[in-house]
Amino acid sequence: MSSINNTKSFHLISSQKVSFTFDGKKITGFKGDTIASALLRNNINLVGRSFKYHRPRGIYTCGIEEPNALVQIISEHNEPNARATVKRIYEGMIVESQNRWPSLKMDIGAVNNLLSPIFSAGFYYKTFMGPKGFWKKIYEPIIRKTAGLGKPPKEFRSKSTHHHHNVDVVIVGGGISGLIAALKFIDTNYDVLIIEQDSFLGGTLNNSKKIKEINGLDTIEWIKKTEDLISKSKNIKILKDTTVSSYNYSNHLIALEDKAVGSLPPNYKPELVLHKIRTQHTILANGYIERILSFRNNDLPGVMLAGSFEKFIHRYGVVPETNPIIFTNNSSTFSLLKSLVELNCKPSAYVDNREENSIEKSTLDYLKNNNILFYTGAEVEGCDGRNIIREAFIRHKGNIIKLKTNMLCVSGGINPDVNLFTQSKGLIKWDDNLFTFKPENAFQNTIVIGSASGNFNFQKLNDEIKNKLNFLKGVNDTKIEIISNVENDYNISEIWDIKPEKESLWSKSFIDIQNDVTVKDLRQAITEGFDRIEHLKRFTTNSMGTDQGKISSINSLGIVSKILNKSVEEVGTTIYRPPFAPLSFSAIAGRNTYEFYDPKRKTPIHSWHIDNNAVFEDVGQWKRPWYFKNKKGETMHQAVQRESKQLRESAGILDGSTLGKIEVKGKDALEFMNLMYTNAFTKMKPMTSRYVLMLGEDGMIKDDGIVSKINDQHFIATTTTGGAPKVLADMEEYAQTEWPNLEVYMNSITEQFSTFNISGPKSRAIMRKVFSNIDFSNEKFPFMTFNNFKYLDTEVRIMRASFTGELGYEIYIPPKYALELWKKIFHSGKNLGLVPYGTETMHLLRAEKGYIVVGQDTDGTVTPIDLNLNWMIGKNKKDFIGKRSLSRFDTAREDRKQLVGILPLDKNKKILEGQHILEINKLPKKVETPIEYLGHVTSSYHSPNLKHFVAMALVKGGKKLMGKKVYVSDPSKSETIPVEIVNPVFLDPKNKRLLS
Amino acid sequence: MLIINCPYCGERDQSEFSNGGQAHVARPSDPEKLNDKEWSEYVFVRSNPKGIFFERWVHSHGCRKWFNAVRNTATDEILKIYKLNEKPPSLDEFTNNLKTPSGEPELGSGNFTVKK
Amino acid sequence: MWRSPEPKKSYDVIIVGGGGHGLGTAYYLAKEHGFKNIAVIEKGWLGCGNTGRNTTIIRSNYLWDESALLYDHSLKLWENLSENLNYNVMFSQRGVLNLAHNEHDIKEIKRRMCANRLNGLDSRWIGTSEIKKLVPIMNTDNLRYPVLGASYQPRGGVARHDAVAWGFAMRSDEMGVDIIQNCEVKGIRTKNGEVDGVETSRGFIESKKIGIVASGHTSILAATAGVKLPLQSRPLQALVSEPIKPVINTVVMSNAVHAYVSQSDKGELVIGAGTDGYNSFTQRGGYDVIEETIRAIVELYPIFGKMKMLRQWGGIVDICPDASPIISKCDIKGLYFNCGWGTGGFKATPGSANVFAYTIANDNPHKINAAFSLDRFVTGRLIDEHGAAAVAH
Repeated sequence: MSSINNTKSFHLISSQKVSFTFDGKKITGFKGDTIASALLRNNINLVGRSFKYHRPRGIYTCGIEEPNALVQIISEHNEPNARATVKRIYEGMIVESQNRWPSLKMDIGAVNNLLSPIFSAGFYYKTFMGPKGFWKKIYEPIIRKTAGLGKPPKEFRSKSTHHHHNVDVVIVGGGISGLIAALKFIDTNYDVLIIEQDSFLGGTLNNSKKIKEINGLDTIEWIKKTEDLISKSKNIKILKDTTVSSYNYSNHLIALEDKAVGSLPPNYKPELVLHKIRTQHTILANGYIERILSFRNNDLPGVMLAGSFEKFIHRYGVVPETNPIIFTNNSSTFSLLKSLVELNCKPSAYVDNREENSIEKSTLDYLKNNNILFYTGAEVEGCDGRNIIREAFIRHKGNIIKLKTNMLCVSGGINPDVNLFTQSKGLIKWDDNLFTFKPENAFQNTIVIGSASGNFNFQKLNDEIKNKLNFLKGVNDTKIEIISNVENDYNISEIWDIKPEKESLWSKSFIDIQNDVTVKDLRQAITEGFDRIEHLKRFTTNSMGTDQGKISSINSLGIVSKILNKSVEEVGTTIYRPPFAPLSFSAIAGRNTYEFYDPKRKTPIHSWHIDNNAVFEDVGQWKRPWYFKNKKGETMHQAVQRESKQLRESAGILDGSTLGKIEVKGKDALEFMNLMYTNAFTKMKPMTSRYVLMLGEDGMIKDDGIVSKINDQHFIATTTTGGAPKVLADMEEYAQTEWPNLEVYMNSITEQFSTFNISGPKSRAIMRKVFSNIDFSNEKFPFMTFNNFKYLDTEVRIMRASFTGELGYEIYIPPKYALELWKKIFHSGKNLGLVPYGTETMHLLRAEKGYIVVGQDTDGTVTPIDLNLNWMIGKNKKDFIGKRSLSRFDTAREDRKQLVGILPLDKNKKILEGQHILEINKLPKKVETPIEYLGHVTSSYHSPNLKHFVAMALVKGGKKLMGKKVYVSDPSKSETIPVEIVNPVFLDPKNKRLLS
Repeated sequence: MLIINCPYCGERDQSEFSNGGQAHVARPSDPEKLNDKEWSEYVFVRSNPKGIFFERWVHSHGCRKWFNAVRNTATDEILKIYKLNEKPPSLDEFTNNLKTPSGEPELGSGNFTVKK
Repeated sequence: MWRSPEPKKSYDVIIVGGGGHGLGTAYYLAKEHGFKNIAVIEKGWLGCGNTGRNTTIIRSNYLWDESALLYDHSLKLWENLSENLNYNVMFSQRGVLNLAHNEHDIKEIKRRMCANRLNGLDSRWIGTSEIKKLVPIMNTDNLRYPVLGASYQPRGGVARHDAVAWGFAMRSDEMGVDIIQNCEVKGIRTKNGEVDGVETSRGFIESKKIGIVASGHTSILAATAGVKLPLQSRPLQALVSEPIKPVINTVVMSNAVHAYVSQSDKGELVIGAGTDGYNSFTQRGGYDVIEETIRAIVELYPIFGKMKMLRQWGGIVDICPDASPIISKCDIKGLYFNCGWGTGGFKATPGSANVFAYTIANDNPHKINAAFSLDRFVTGRLIDEHGAAAVAH
């Protein structure tokens, strides 16, 4: 292990020292280091324990594809499963390893490794069953406890935000291909967004010395110059530290920007920004991913992907090991070899699976000239060690050669990163030369360039990009001359797994390193018949870890295709599901949570309600006063009893501003209203109002309200608070789609008017005091009429209507004037006993009168006839919404559930809403067979005016059961309460109060 | 999330719209003449094809206008948008230029691979 | 495990759809009704539809008697399923909570609890202090729509979805059922008002009894026999987080703030999102639906803000106008449908399969599924399980 401490030659890190702790130990790295590079810099290799067997694990990669080095960031609310290879360190950061107890080096769970025969693929399904009860009480709790990697997060309040973009072109990836593509758009008319996962541009140019120079410049110089050019072009924007995670339909991309790279943002700033992007064209220049090879103990700390090893050198100036063994089957590792030699670090051996004649001559010459031990047509059979590898075994020409080493750099080849491309629903195709999938046909406006498209040859890059972007008008011509340090062609031999020389419990050859899936597991699953690739994945959990098998999913296809003796295409692939990299919940939620979860709608009187100790109820988005707490210590029951009693004795006022209000106008408004509602409006006189019902086409009650007719061309309808948006939408739908011939227009005027209901015997007196110029006498202002009146410099509409069964008035006033008027009414009514009341009292008063509440006494299965509201159906109307359904067999039956009143025989007994109505008076302690019931209580309140409970219920054939003694059940007791089925109108059946 | 080209407002995000199911199902002019089965078909049964679907959308968070669309439900591609008073396009207009099949292929859950 | 036989020319019963419901139907037909010559025909691989895509919640606390009976029949079968199949389906009875966030929810839940008790179910109303005990990480009061209580069904829980399909498949296969994968049924052939067989990608297969259990694709198959079903196929999405040590030991569902969550034995949070508002067969829904769910999750469980979405996917669910399934005969003799499970079919898997097998075997519904007939849409006797959702005053 050696660290090249001359940070100047590595532009991605600075010389500023940064300290953090790992498992309590203080570690010092440089600003710009990831946790992984800092750990390697400090010779720490063991960073975690595996999922199932708790095997020691190290750092396997240098990026987002990391399967092993997952850590818990204690200093960030215990964030679990953070990738040590991505997360950058900052001063004071606290990091812990995961899935180990009591310590990383001494992990008790490692005993699982020795029990591995019972933990083989699909072990859950076959074991841990009997004896009865063992699964629930013993096995499952153990399994749950041992699984799970990181610990749960701690106390946290997310503060992420969303940005939206609408652009012409998105370039995913700011590596060499992305930069060349970007150059084509400089100072053009295209709005371009470049999205780079890292904190810097250049991608692979930062990872190796494969390219010597571009356009005569050193690669780092070229990146700087290109970035400078791009930044100066006003039509191009660069997002760094941003990972595209989802590619949805209609070129919709989701990308996550990390604002906490290398430091924690101040508390008032978001730590994550989620970008939602719409684009015309998406250029995928997202590069490639290196894959593993499966051999014995290929999971040990010290085994690392060769490209990642190279990345640590060139990005961070860390040489994880000065004399590693390099094991490869392809051309890509030559540059690593060269880098090491140039740093005076000589690999202990170079093991190439390719036969000598397939290996580039320059590589062979280099190996020979530098006197490096190398084997061709060879393979690493396995390695041994405990918390780090100690020796590797090379199989060459039938012999096993044992070599001591602390590190093994592996390359199983490189794959175009097709994840986003397949998310876009593009088609991929297997390439028999590259042994990987390549993008084939795009489904959306997607252009894939560079290594992401399977072009691993730098020399061909510019031409490729030119050809693919040519169809876009006005793009720049660019000249790119690349001089390589290595040969440009790429070749690879087909090898997926290496047959182990020996078998033991310790020796395992992994295919999914994070989920502890071995090649043996794959074989066993296939033997058991799980030969469909999806079954295999689900049975073995292959590629289902946090890395989603990024470095090994192609390998498993290779292995399975060999076992089944089928082509990889025949095997098929499992789908690459979004997101590309795990996506923070906090970022997805953004600011649409907590106080911004849903708007709070408040009436103009809200402040008064608060001042008067209203307790609020959520009705949809509205905050409605539920009841008013008169004095300290008053319970809800006491308040509601007081309000209800006082209203019937004198008067009450309710803020009804939340009720939906819809204005309907037009030549054919009358005909339209006749079709929308059950009621008949034709003979209705102008300036009168009517209680109305709206049904669905299924004949069931959907909403109720009051319709006021100004004339045949002009109506105003009120709706329930929750039903308002739906009623308007339904009206619009019918008007536009079914009856376009009707000339009718409608609009919501809910917010245009505040509404108050004043009712009670003293309400007329109060109204007279407030509106002294209006005649409120029965003759001049009869029930269900309305008129407009001048009030200050505005108009109010006053309607005589009632929610409560008392004499009552409803006032509509523009919101600007509402609070003042409310206060005035309240002031005028105070001496007459005016009480403000809330929704609970309203319900109580309605129940006393047998007035229904839609959504409480109805549930979408109730017809007007069920509710004895036949009188609301326009008998002579040929049609209205839902009419036809009322005559269907089951909606016309006489034994349907019908609305009745329920009276407790013992007037002191309580009846609760939701209780069911029985014909039997005793319930068994434990119900073995279902007990038949007649129906259920829909509304029930203690009436302070009648001094007993009044309840309504929906009861099978209820209309015919008047006077019948039945029982109401209390679900927590076996006892029942005897009740009588009665008419639901408990108070003032002749409506004397209403019409007084 | 789809982009829908509202014939009155232009291209907007799908979240501004609501879907109204199958298009061109006229409400019977005289429901009383229908028997229970015919009526129940009008109320409850709508076509549900995999492929070309004539459907209705409304720009709920926009102009609140209803309009019709032709969409391939196998790929969610919107092939045509037309106003309520416009003549529905003929099916032949679309059948020949459908893109890749969607849903997930028979082998694997799979990314689509091109067969040789 | 199970064989991959070539399809025979003819079977006594053909089940179209190799998900849990279909395989279970074959299992019960063979086990309880003595059928020997059965085929299950699957277009893809076993369990590739909604069986392998759902959030595995199992409960039976439905409002209407018909539903409660059907789902509890299923729950009872779940309780012994591992034993009966000799295959661990990992049925974990960790309890299910349905949260109430407003007065309307409370009334709806309390009514449902009374009905449930009369139907012999174990669900009950619990208050916030008890909820807090079950799920300490839940934020019950400091949110836009506070948690006011919940229904709690201790017998509810989750199971391992794939294992259900595999278990049924193995045992059916042992009893001689032919499980034919990668065979797409293209159409149903009828003759004189009777079924005759199915046209498949591997040729015509004859049968006088055909059960269609193809979830999202059912209405398409029905159409080939001229049967119109009141179904619409919609995308339904789900997602899992990265795995963490156990943090939530109960299944928690909330309708009002759309958030369904449980934690798998592997440690992943399994989260159910909503359906998209349009028909689609793409098994891909809109991102907005995911966002809607996650913001509710973060609202209810603030610490989950630090969690990450690992995988996200969609299925095609067949939605019925009354949110209840159809397990029914139809006008064509020998043709049976088991469909319309919408967003909640997994919990019903063994129960649905069991009564469907009875229906096919006897050409007559079992008393448990009699109400779930096709003609309820004609007569108007719907089993409306979402009617009570409307908020109004």
